[in-house]
Amino acid sequence: MAIKKGRFTIENLENVQINIGSIVSSGEAETPEGPTPAPEIHDLRDWDMKLLDRYEPVYSPVCDMCCYCTYGKCDLTGNKEGACGIDMEAHQAREAMLKGLTGTAAHSAHGRHLLNNLIKRFGADYPIDVGPSNLKAPLTQTIMGIKPETIGDFIPVLDYIEEQITQLLATAHTGQEGSSRDFESKALHAGMLDHLGMEVSDIIQISCLGMPKSQEDAPLVDIGMGSIDSSKPVLLCIGHNVAAVTYIMDYVEEHDLFDKIELAGLCCTAHDMTRYNKNAKIVGPMSKQLKYIRSGIPDVIVVDEQCVRADVLREASKLHIPVIATNDKIMYGLPNRSKDEVDAIIQDLVSGDQPGALLFDYAKVGKLAPELALKMAPIRKEMGITALPDDEEFKKLTSSCSQCGACVIGCPQGLDIDKAMEAAAGGDLTLFEELHDRCIGCGRCDFECPKGIPILNVIEKASQRVIREEKGKVRIGRGQVGDPEIREEGVNLVLGTTPGVIAIVGCPNYPDGSRDIYEIAEEMLKRSYIVVTSGCCAMDIGMHKDDEGKTLYERYAGRFLKGNLLNTGSCVSNAHISATTIKVASIFARREINGNWEEIADYVLNRIGAVGLAWGAYSQKALTIGTGCNRLGIPVVLGPHGPKYRRAYLGKPYNRDKWNVMDARDGSVQNIEPVPEHLLISAETKAEVLPMLAKLCFRPSDNNLGRMIKLTHYIELSEKYLGQLPDDWYIYVRSEADLPLAKREELLKKLEAEQGWKIDWNKKKVLEGPVRKVDVSFQPTNVPRLCKEASK
Amino acid sequence: MAAIELDTTKNAVPFDRANIPGPKMAKAIKADLAGKLISKARRPLLIVGTAGADDGVILVVKRMAEKGIPVAATGNSIKRLKEEGIDATYVNLHALVSYLKDPGWKGFDGKGGYDTTIFLGHTYYYASQLMSTLKNFTKIKIISIDRHYHPNAQQSFGNLKPDDFLKTLDMVVAEL
Repeated sequence: MAIKKGRFTIENLENVQINIGSIVSSGEAETPEGPTPAPEIHDLRDWDMKLLDRYEPVYSPVCDMCCYCTYGKCDLTGNKEGACGIDMEAHQAREAMLKGLTGTAAHSAHGRHLLNNLIKRFGADYPIDVGPSNLKAPLTQTIMGIKPETIGDFIPVLDYIEEQITQLLATAHTGQEGSSRDFESKALHAGMLDHLGMEVSDIIQISCLGMPKSQEDAPLVDIGMGSIDSSKPVLLCIGHNVAAVTYIMDYVEEHDLFDKIELAGLCCTAHDMTRYNKNAKIVGPMSKQLKYIRSGIPDVIVVDEQCVRADVLREASKLHIPVIATNDKIMYGLPNRSKDEVDAIIQDLVSGDQPGALLFDYAKVGKLAPELALKMAPIRKEMGITALPDDEEFKKLTSSCSQCGACVIGCPQGLDIDKAMEAAAGGDLTLFEELHDRCIGCGRCDFECPKGIPILNVIEKASQRVIREEKGKVRIGRGQVGDPEIREEGVNLVLGTTPGVIAIVGCPNYPDGSRDIYEIAEEMLKRSYIVVTSGCCAMDIGMHKDDEGKTLYERYAGRFLKGNLLNTGSCVSNAHISATTIKVASIFARREINGNWEEIADYVLNRIGAVGLAWGAYSQKALTIGTGCNRLGIPVVLGPHGPKYRRAYLGKPYNRDKWNVMDARDGSVQNIEPVPEHLLISAETKAEVLPMLAKLCFRPSDNNLGRMIKLTHYIELSEKYLGQLPDDWYIYVRSEADLPLAKREELLKKLEAEQGWKIDWNKKKVLEGPVRKVDVSFQPTNVPRLCKEASK
Repeated sequence: MAAIELDTTKNAVPFDRANIPGPKMAKAIKADLAGKLISKARRPLLIVGTAGADDGVILVVKRMAEKGIPVAATGNSIKRLKEEGIDATYVNLHALVSYLKDPGWKGFDGKGGYDTTIFLGHTYYYASQLMSTLKNFTKIKIISIDRHYHPNAQQSFGNLKPDDFLKTLDMVVAEL
């Protein structure tokens, strides 16, 4: 009999029990293990220090004090030390690490909750299936050194993450770490763990819940407040963890209720709902949360975890909308009704005796939520519930505004609410309609108004026309990029003939509305970049259309090929984006990945032109996703709210001694052009970020054709959006073959006249000037052990 | 005269109401003093954000550039600045503050770093955070001549109405 995992007793041997916790099986390493399987905090420190030496942390404190312990408050202004001895730099680095750990904990706790639920439902031996892929869990293999085959194989992975989180969190205590650089290394470690936790979460739900498996032509679904049929009872699910919601969808399906009920999702749960059942609809990203609740349309709200507003219960209760909480992370003070009969709970909620219920029995949630929505809808309709003012009230409210500007000062975006209010009082709604997309729906304005005007409701009332038109399409989250796609595209990506991969991810805290994110995606797609997206950004990209009424998802295919647009799925599916770079290293370049983070990150940094854009990043999770990308050698750009994360990783192109790499062929050191120039940076506007994205796709390994293509886009985008040839274009030229074909002669003249380069005009060749000459066999690396000379 | 009536030190509260950084916050100053402080700088740098290219403001940028103050164009202000014939250098603001805090940076002209930064025309919260870097990690003077009160500067105006803002900028330039 084969021994399986578990527990057994030997008869007649009293009081002895043998527990088998882990057996060598398919979940263990099958190929030679790299140097850092399941790395401890210090194991990848050398790699981190290499990154931090070139990309120096730049801190921008939000608060100049440390308020962390009772020694303080301590004034750290000007990099002073506090009472415990920590200085401003180290404190800011600690803050960045703590924010990162919050994000890591959110994703990995999500994974733990989901794994426990799915093991209970499907068993630990349920096989992993992510689609056409031999490399099923790239991050798990690279970090842990194991190749999981079943969902149960992820148990030690989460054990490892949880242990590391505890170790990292401990270092934040007063009287522990004092080095800003080591705090940064720890922040990078947290970022890496975050991607691991996300991978676990998404692979197990893809495997068990029938979600698309590397499906490039996943179906389209409706998105937008205007796409929700409010004539039906509306059941709204908010959050990131679809565990409980799947029971609701099963119940609705089994009882043929999809025609009778509108099942809508908000935030990442919505992505996963549509991946589970395409009859669900997506209201939109986080920025629509308060707006949609205040519309009064939902009849029941179900919340799970992450990015759910803290005031959902308060807001919903005002409108007689019962709230069902289903997860330990959000309980809102509600009574635990898990052991009560569904009918009894429904009775209490319908009568209004209770504003909501906490329910951990998901079979009961599955039945209760839709049945409750069917009961609540006619009652609420009869009561005529809506938060929005009627026409007469709207006129009174806008006329009562005294233009004091308190709302403008309170608005995180500084929107000109006062001007819109004045115009609306005169009957002109256009300013409010324009403002609607730029408003992030936070509701801070309501609290600032000295006259008590419910400003967010006024914005929504004034924007009813544009809200009705908020209907778009999103391609359902496809999951991983499959191995065949990597084999097809890998060579283009590494050689640079595909100019780059732009991963547009993150939250909807945009500086100037969601249309910018659509236009950024469109510009890069037209230029044959691969655009990968997920989460709230994936939703907002689908909210806008061209002149023919088509969204980008309808215009561009979803394969991992140049000029394609891929939606990987919800927030946790961000892991597939970073994992794609690992897949390129493994499948295309045949790099050994097991327990080999440093080598893979080195490969990504030097060879793969991938850049992340978190234009509206607001959450701790967004920061830690970015930090995890950074440790893997992927640069990330943030919008102008980004410096509120307090730290960036910036390169200095003029500091030549920071731009050295080794040639793996012989260990010789080469001074390279500053590529990629930064690891984490912010930009102010769409026009500024577009050329920056193109520039950050440069890599030292680019061949001539690849560099020429990348340089062409950089120059064109700079000329189009900044009105000039970039000041630093010549830095990236290694020979005449790197120059854009159409401008070659013109640029050669500039190199000679403005930079003093020597040109052979007969042959039109560069003789002297570049930092280095291109060498197609060059093998850039920052890891000495990868050099052949060193290995001898 | 407007110069006498206009008090730029009024309403000196952070434009983002909760943007209270700590014990050290900008002193609210009058326009003529801002102009004098700028004129006394040994190595000033005017940092112009996207809104610095707005009508009215851009003329002030032009006049300051004509007075010999080097201009760093951040965001996407460079496009309009160039159209107006203003000699400016494009630079990302986040990158610029990292250069400014580097004692080894030689400046845009290769002659060394700058001792005074003048902020004009920025997305408020973005500039505020990057002023925080300069405030906490450099000895560089930070003078905001933007429309709203910037606590992380050393000197700033209060929150100004649009018309008063343009008048204020004229008064600053008059002192150069």
